[in-house]
Amino acid sequence: MRVSKGDIFERVFINEEVHLQLDQEAGSHVKIHVINAPFSITVNQLEEGCHTEIYGLEHLHGEENVTAETHVTHAVGGGSSTQLIKFVLADNARGRFIGDLKIAPDAQQTEAHQTNRNLLLSETAQMRTQPQLEIYADDVKATHGASTGQLDESALFYMQQRGISKQKARQLLVNAFMKDVIEVISDQYSDVREQLLNAIDGVVE
Amino acid sequence: MNKLLEIKNLHASIGGKEILKGVNLVVNEGEVHAIMGPNGAGKSTLSAVLTGNPAYEVTAGEVYLRGENLLTMEPEVRARAGVFLSFQYPVEIPGVSMTNFMRTAVNEKRAYEGKEPLSAKEFLALMREKKKLLELPDKLNNRSVNEGFSGGEKKKNEIFQMAMLEPCLSILDETDSGLDIDALRIVAEGVNRLKTPQNASIVITHYQRLLDYIVPDFVHVLADGQIVKTGDKTLALELEEKGYEGF
Repeated sequence: MRVSKGDIFERVFINEEVHLQLDQEAGSHVKIHVINAPFSITVNQLEEGCHTEIYGLEHLHGEENVTAETHVTHAVGGGSSTQLIKFVLADNARGRFIGDLKIAPDAQQTEAHQTNRNLLLSETAQMRTQPQLEIYADDVKATHGASTGQLDESALFYMQQRGISKQKARQLLVNAFMKDVIEVISDQYSDVREQLLNAIDGVVE
Repeated sequence: MNKLLEIKNLHASIGGKEILKGVNLVVNEGEVHAIMGPNGAGKSTLSAVLTGNPAYEVTAGEVYLRGENLLTMEPEVRARAGVFLSFQYPVEIPGVSMTNFMRTAVNEKRAYEGKEPLSAKEFLALMREKKKLLELPDKLNNRSVNEGFSGGEKKKNEIFQMAMLEPCLSILDETDSGLDIDALRIVAEGVNRLKTPQNASIVITHYQRLLDYIVPDFVHVLADGQIVKTGDKTLALELEEKGYEGF
């Protein structure tokens, strides 16, 4: 579908598989959150001055296997894109992130950021990350980062030393890890945002 | 005088290397013990082992807190039983607010003691009261634990947590390191005000400076994994003058 000139296309999907292809016209703004569902999102910035934000949060358990896929193309310059994709993987869960980011030769003065952070909570959980950046313009600001790690042992011990059970300490750290993805949900979806944040903080009450 | 902590022939190692080689120490209620010694003597290892840091392995010996075997308790149970460590390097925990962290800790301890959890209102009032003691600003409540705190704020925050949790045994690990004189005074005054006839402190330090403010009843020299000398506060002054050579 097309996002018309100057329009804002904003959606929050929760537990709902998402397949989207968006073509952005000049000055339009796309902001998408996907929580706990597979997704494949393709965005083409066809005209100048577009903004794209894609946020994904996958908290997987058991035998769950989820792929998150983004394909962002800056065909022309003066636009920006931000992607923040996070996976939390417990038990035998499998996660996969495929992130294609393309900045065409004409897309000067583009600002593009892609970040994928993953937290493995068990020895048997697995994450595959495949970022692919193709940058053909030279006057751009582009960053990408991908990391997969485990809970910070020193933080866990610090909390235990204050009397917090290991299980609760882990929960606090996992919640902290997930929080920033949710916090950036716009006021338009403040109900959903607060619900999600409460669900996170509620765990430790 | 009631015996609070008893350490008998404690041996501990990390990565197969023995650090503590037979530590013996008795701490009674109401006492302040300073443990001094050269770098690498095992001072921080002792605090890590007493609090159950999983990186260290106890290879021999016994430790009792009010007669109960401390070494078989999980780290969080030791904390709820009243063992508190003021960390030499307090850990930053991005995304976990001081309020959420502290409220969880306080209510876990209350549950352990069979008490009802504090309501949000009671808890915030307690935070305010204890914060005054350390001259900590209110804005710290909403910040993540230790994140972006200055060195002085981190150490004040440790003593603030100590004030909130009211431990029976406080271990202050190099609390003076990285503190300017004003922060040192505030931290030391905080510790002194928390002193009661029922609790006790172990102050681990390399320098005499902190002991000008927190006056110890006993000073122990830890060298190469053992307590090699014990004296009163004048021993600290002597060490300051002569250094640790000869130990």
